[in-house]
Amino acid sequence: MTNRIRSLLVPFPSAREANIALQSLLPDREPRKGGISKELSVSDNAMSVKWTADEARILRVSVGSFLDHLALVLETMEEFGPPVTL
Amino acid sequence: MTVVIGFEGSANKIGVGFLPSETAKHHRAVVLTVLREALQQAGLKPADIDCVAYTKGPGMGAPLVTVALVARTVAQLWGKPLLGVNHCIGHIEMGRLVTRANNPTVLYVSGGNTQVIAYSEHRYRIFGETIDIAVGNCLDRFARVIKISNDPSPGYNIEQMAKKGKEFVELPYTVKGMDVSFSGILSYIEDAAHKMLGSGQCTAEDLCFSLQETLFAMLVEITERAMAHCNSQEVLIVGGVGCNLRLQEMMGTMCKERGAHLFATDESFCIDNGAMIAQAGWEMFRSGHVTELPDSWITQRYRTDEVEVTWRD
Repeated sequence: MTNRIRSLLVPFPSAREANIALQSLLPDREPRKGGISKELSVSDNAMSVKWTADEARILRVSVGSFLDHLALVLETMEEFGPPVTL
Repeated sequence: MTVVIGFEGSANKIGVGFLPSETAKHHRAVVLTVLREALQQAGLKPADIDCVAYTKGPGMGAPLVTVALVARTVAQLWGKPLLGVNHCIGHIEMGRLVTRANNPTVLYVSGGNTQVIAYSEHRYRIFGETIDIAVGNCLDRFARVIKISNDPSPGYNIEQMAKKGKEFVELPYTVKGMDVSFSGILSYIEDAAHKMLGSGQCTAEDLCFSLQETLFAMLVEITERAMAHCNSQEVLIVGGVGCNLRLQEMMGTMCKERGAHLFATDESFCIDNGAMIAQAGWEMFRSGHVTELPDSWITQRYRTDEVEVTWRD
């Protein structure tokens, strides 16, 4: 079976904000045990996500749930940001 | 003064039922508004906050994640340490704070949990628990069988109807050592309800009364046995079912006979809330805990005795 791969690039106002989103989204593992992997990384002010999945069905669920989580993080940043200077 | 903000997202049935995805949608829709209003009502700016506490587990996955995402994000935006709190520990620490109970044997009774807990050697140890469904779940499901309203809550309505019960209908009494089992009682009373209510052998009020007396007698029995094990002279009841005044009364009678003291709280503290997560988070924070972001994953299973209690002697 061929793997299904999807990727996504999310731009942020700054590298700091891209990293905050990354750290918020990274900790929770995929609910499903196998059949899917997701890699998150940040370069400059953009976060990139890459999925590799066995089936379109599993991929769709993971992408859908990731986008929900991302939207919540973005809204939180919009309302309670910008980040304080450390 | 240390200021801790607490995010509780384990589960909440207010208007959404116990479906994980629906509950997550509900949390998702309200979490930012709740946070904004909490800051406004407390008259606090993010800079005034010392740390951010959130529920790490146990609970349903999707709602936990929703709330954890917001907690992680604001902790980073505001540059504050993060603390992942065990939901059950939140109940215990809130109960201890509000009642000033020092070292109580704890009965934790809610829709999802039924545990008898006592503190020893830096752990809240589980002395007894349900081996199937939680006591609150048993009450809620019975309420549905005989079509009792959910407003304000099925447990409250059962409690009110039970006051009018006259005949005691004998139900199975299932204490197994230090543990309890409720699912058999539920099946039995479902069956009895269909047979006896139809034929007029008893009333719905009689069944509410009989169910409460049976369930609560079981809980009092295992609590008393835990007290005897630990030489404890204090009982603290926490969790949503802890609001039930008949349970408090029965526990109070047992305590009186033993010369012990009962601590209980009303619905403003019994029912899940953010303040209890903040209180447990504060205890953890002051004893040197911090949850690093990579370790901040939520967990659906998280037993009370997994947490090392560093804030008590």
